[in-house]
Amino acid sequence: MPETIINIALLFALPFFFLGIINRVKSFWAGRQGPPMMQPLRDFVKLMKKGEVISTTSSFVFRIAPSATFASVIAAGLVVPLAGGRSALSFEADFILFAYLLGIGKFLTIIGALDTGSSFEGMGASREAAFSALVEPAFFMIIGSLGIISGGMTFERLFVIARSGGPAVLVLPLGFIALFIMLLAEGCRVPVDDPNTHLELTMIHEVMVLDNSGPDMGMIMYAAGMKMIIIGALIANLFIPSGIPFWASLGLFVAVEAALAVVIGTVESVMARLRMTHVPQFLLFMTAISVVILSTVVLFISGGIQ
Amino acid sequence: MELIDLYIAGIGVILFGGVFSLPLPDRMKSLVVALFTGCGAALVVYVSINVLFLSDPVSARYVLSYPAGTVPVVVDRLAAFFSLIVSAMSFIGTLYAIGYMRPYCGTGRPVASHFFFLSVLVASMLAVTAVQNVVAFLVVWEIMSLSSFFLVAFENEREDVYHASINYLIAMHVGVLFLIGGFLAASLESGSFDFSSFPQAFGENRTLANLVFVLLFVGFGTKAGFVPFHTWLPKAHPAAPSHVSGLMSGIMIKTGIYGILRVIGLIGNPGAEIAYMVLAVSIVSGVLGVAYAIAQHNIKRLLAYHSVENIGIIGMGIGLGMLGLAYGNTPLAVLGFAGGTLHVLNHSLFKSLLFFAAGGVYQKTHLLDIEKLGGIVKFMTFTAVSFLVGSIAISGLPPFNGFVSEFFIYWGMLKGLSSSNILLVIVMVLSFSALAFIGAMALLCFTKVFGVVFLGMPRSRYHEEPAEVSLTMKAAMALQMLFIVMIGMLPQYAFRGVSVVVQALLPGESGLFDTSPYIATLGGVSGGLIAFVAVFAAVFLLRTMLLRNRSVQAYKTWDCGYQAGNARMQYTASSYAAPFLRVMIPFFSWKVRLKKPAGLFPDAAHYESHAEDRFESAVINPLVSLIERFLNAFTWIQSGSTQQYILYGLIFLIAITLWIMVV
Repeated sequence: MPETIINIALLFALPFFFLGIINRVKSFWAGRQGPPMMQPLRDFVKLMKKGEVISTTSSFVFRIAPSATFASVIAAGLVVPLAGGRSALSFEADFILFAYLLGIGKFLTIIGALDTGSSFEGMGASREAAFSALVEPAFFMIIGSLGIISGGMTFERLFVIARSGGPAVLVLPLGFIALFIMLLAEGCRVPVDDPNTHLELTMIHEVMVLDNSGPDMGMIMYAAGMKMIIIGALIANLFIPSGIPFWASLGLFVAVEAALAVVIGTVESVMARLRMTHVPQFLLFMTAISVVILSTVVLFISGGIQ
Repeated sequence: MELIDLYIAGIGVILFGGVFSLPLPDRMKSLVVALFTGCGAALVVYVSINVLFLSDPVSARYVLSYPAGTVPVVVDRLAAFFSLIVSAMSFIGTLYAIGYMRPYCGTGRPVASHFFFLSVLVASMLAVTAVQNVVAFLVVWEIMSLSSFFLVAFENEREDVYHASINYLIAMHVGVLFLIGGFLAASLESGSFDFSSFPQAFGENRTLANLVFVLLFVGFGTKAGFVPFHTWLPKAHPAAPSHVSGLMSGIMIKTGIYGILRVIGLIGNPGAEIAYMVLAVSIVSGVLGVAYAIAQHNIKRLLAYHSVENIGIIGMGIGLGMLGLAYGNTPLAVLGFAGGTLHVLNHSLFKSLLFFAAGGVYQKTHLLDIEKLGGIVKFMTFTAVSFLVGSIAISGLPPFNGFVSEFFIYWGMLKGLSSSNILLVIVMVLSFSALAFIGAMALLCFTKVFGVVFLGMPRSRYHEEPAEVSLTMKAAMALQMLFIVMIGMLPQYAFRGVSVVVQALLPGESGLFDTSPYIATLGGVSGGLIAFVAVFAAVFLLRTMLLRNRSVQAYKTWDCGYQAGNARMQYTASSYAAPFLRVMIPFFSWKVRLKKPAGLFPDAAHYESHAEDRFESAVINPLVSLIERFLNAFTWIQSGSTQQYILYGLIFLIAITLWIMVV
């Protein structure tokens, strides 16, 4: 029970640090001093204190979309295993609920964007929907492949046995690459999307929330950070061994998340966003990797790889 | 009075409502039909619930003349499940029709025949699920097809409606040809028209069982709309009045699924090859159905393609169930069949809800082209909410019912992973991924429709300001939303409901599986969903509290500093779908018409693109033209001259006389 409480606290606290580290890493590469680590938290608090400007074109959808998206990410965070490989809510096939909770969040963000009638936001929504349609099958194929070796049908078990199984040597690094691509795509980071861009035409996620302000904007930022923590948790679970004490696992978990933030910040500093027409290819690369993972696993269980 | 008599009485009441409505004035007809359908449906629902949860199957036998012979009418669990859906949805449909048909009353349209055939359709669908004799089954099946044909052809003075209804009629008769073939093959082997004689015949002759299954799958699949037999759907649905589209897409095509499940029950265990075939056809239907839907701009045509997608998902569940039977993997069979049957119910709820909401928009704007719509949410909030609920449900997203049945199917696939059969394992992972792909595409498609039709600003001038739909139409949609939310939030009870049908589908001992582990897990799912809704409520409340005493300004949408934005500059459905369709290009045949601006003073330029169904242009059309060319050789028979026709009659009479004399 205390573990669950610590995990829920992590879920709510880590997003600010995660965003803070990314910003600091980027400023390090740019030779700037950079904003304080807690700047994202300050931004969030500031936004929560503000009023809102709401488009006259919009309807109730625009008003509920940010809250509902935020709620869906929190609910998904309850299902995903965090520190100690424990999730707050675990049952058979829980990862399907996880994926679909993120799906409903995406649905609502998209219609929230379309509600403003802005062609910029329509463009962002269209890209978001198209790209996530390419990520989803690959993610499910990875989950399915891990499911073959683990036979474990819960998120928690999925990773425990995937780590110890025979094909782990191949599956873990490949799984890392694929999930990292997913993290970049879902977290709207370079090279899929650039959160710092100032031209609406080149944005994906940022352009969808152009009209949001005040507490709604705060929730959107918070949800985006939390989503990265959640997908980062999948990567962390690939590497953190089970059977170690909870506090050690907790430390490792935080370390892996911090490392991911450093890697994202570095990627963002050293490369540019891909051309919009090349993004599908980048995302299909994830599908290709997941097919390799599936083949590896199948070869392993059929005795082809010892 | 026995249960089976109540069931027959229910069908009779519904049918009587149709006959009784004929001499009444136009405005009374819809009320009478809804009332009688409601009463009849109540009887059928009572019997169905009894059979599902309380009593054994009920049956009666009717002795008819040659060629049917003795006709058994059996309401077993499978029949009861489908009757329950058919009767409840039909009642909701007739309720909706009260408001929807009002503008057509007194305009000289064939409203009388419309309501008569509506009752006949409902009665025949109920009869289809219960009749267990080949000849009687084919007769009621044909009545069902014909009555729905008349319903589709309601506005037959419109050329597209005329063509669509003829196309539908032909597709149904091609389908019924396969049914006749399959049933006759089975009857010849067993020596009886009675369904109950088939299992023994199939048990002795597996090759025949496989052949019969394939024939009947094609026949029933044409009704259900599996690819490549789906081409009638996207034509017939936009042509029919909305409640008819809702009933046809929501329940009538499910009689095809009923037929497939019935045949599986008769064969017992159709074997792995057949199961893989069903799964493959279903995945193709699911993926292509939604991919084609994304390219559509007519809202009802788009919804029709989604029926193909959802039939694919139902078929995936059934295919998994059959694989479970073939490999003796009971959890796989249980979850596959549970997912398939529950998706039948779910699809009938959200698809008819979507058709009803789209019908409301059509009634008020006279537009079906989504590129001309927009901003409807401000005029018709209730309809918009209904369409939103339906959209989330059909995309398989929580917390609504579509998620629950898809969850069962995913979960079944996971159960197949622990098999030692490599082929099964690979197929399971690939179908797992395919279902995720279908879900993500459905999300894209329904964000498109909902966003373009209901949100933003109107893209064209409406002939009048659209007002909210009438009370009965709202009531029909509210009832559907109620069920959608209930099934979505409480999946454990939904599983308990369909598990009795699954038990009837599994042969022998495996039918007595323990439901408690499934229900325990679904309790977890329910917990997750309730957590989501509770967190949402809390967050939204917090937001409302925060904003209570602060300034909330209304201002125009951010237009990047450009001050003259108008409604025509909004993102269109075509541009919304374009990035994805570009990736999916091999599945479509693109037709582009381009007139470039030329010269120093260019006049009007023009660009037009259509994404066409590749199956229709590459498979169905060549096939049809081949048949046409063959049949054209016989056109001289129909010359139009009366003398020649009298000659035919004479020849026929002579032939008959000779036959009687010789034999």
